[in-house]
Amino acid sequence: MATEQGDVDLVDGDVVHAFARAALLATLLGAVAPIAIPIPFSPAPITLQVLFVFLAGLLLGPLWGTVSILLYLAAGAIGLPVFAGMAGGLGVLVGDSAGYLWSYPLAAGLIGLLVHRGTDLRDPAEVSTPLVVVALVTATVLIYGMGVGYMAWLLELELWEAITVGALPFIPGEVLKIAAAVAIVESGRIDTI
Amino acid sequence: MLTYEPGETVVHDLDPRSKLAVQIGFAATALAHTAPRALLGFSVFTVAVLALARVPLLRTLYAYRFALVILAVGPLVAAATLGPPWIDLEAGLATALASYRVLLILLVSAAYVRTTPVRESRAAIQRTVPGKPGQLLGIGVALIFRFLPVVQSDLRTIRDAMAARLGTERSARERATTIGLLGLSRTFDRADRLSLALRARCFSWNPTLPALAFSQRDLPALGVAVALLLTAFL
Repeated sequence: MATEQGDVDLVDGDVVHAFARAALLATLLGAVAPIAIPIPFSPAPITLQVLFVFLAGLLLGPLWGTVSILLYLAAGAIGLPVFAGMAGGLGVLVGDSAGYLWSYPLAAGLIGLLVHRGTDLRDPAEVSTPLVVVALVTATVLIYGMGVGYMAWLLELELWEAITVGALPFIPGEVLKIAAAVAIVESGRIDTI
Repeated sequence: MLTYEPGETVVHDLDPRSKLAVQIGFAATALAHTAPRALLGFSVFTVAVLALARVPLLRTLYAYRFALVILAVGPLVAAATLGPPWIDLEAGLATALASYRVLLILLVSAAYVRTTPVRESRAAIQRTVPGKPGQLLGIGVALIFRFLPVVQSDLRTIRDAMAARLGTERSARERATTIGLLGLSRTFDRADRLSLALRARCFSWNPTLPALAFSQRDLPALGVAVALLLTAFL
């Protein structure tokens, strides 16, 4: 094993702080995976994971929010039981729900960009509620667009068939998660990085 | 649940990077083909991999049960048509074949999960992804592994406390908000203590990496990976 012999290149304090939060939010995203309620005639069970994807964008911003979700995907890829139903493995990232999973980092980044308008974060509690809701709805559309599109291609389904299986059953759950995310952010009890 | 288990199989001895390459090659070619003959070949390959890695089939299928539901429902939805003749067998069969290859991809990746400890995967990430992103990715994955049980136990505490306070009587939105808010504030408290601890231990961009080396055993595996990748273009 080659020992590193150069000068120690310390990581900046700000980066350590943001990175630790991103890594632990990714952990939380994985930890809520078992809290999954399978529903009949539908592939992905209802989970709270999308709620934490929203919160990653809202509280960590476009850069670290995206990093957080990418860490989550990497952890799942090497086999940690962080995906829905405590599954893991590279296969899940190309499997039937892969479109949803790959949309998460983009959705978190999109929410961050819309709400914070750049990488300098502002307090999301002070951002107008309609803007937050618009950002979350846009992200939800992105998540389902990619999820359903990929599923239709992979399983050779008609688009409406994929929508029936992969989107329609979840709409009530998504409205609930958007409401919860807005309530959490507006409570002002959690500060951004 | 599907996790790493120590063992003496050939697959355990391989470098994690060769195993990742095989998985990527297999996924690429499986996504490119759905012809029955190709699927037969994929099945033989999958069975060989599972046997070499001694993966218990039933337990693995159970671990992927959520994916299996959609893979089973997909062909039914594809076959159902509005109006006569009500059932379109051809469309159902096409989706069934497409679903089957996804199952094979999941099983092949299960062999990796079962034979590769997290520290080796982490070393593979840090050696493959260059520079600072690779460092953050590797350390981040290690942190997730370390903190997963801790955060899970935090969530259990929160849910127990909610149940004790008649949380089940409350609306779904209120319950989601409570879990989100409490889960997040506990997790961020942990993160802030972690970042202090990391700085106190001189968290740097250039630590000494965990040991990892290709050996002669990896040559056949890498050859298989390249061959699989090439068949994707057939």
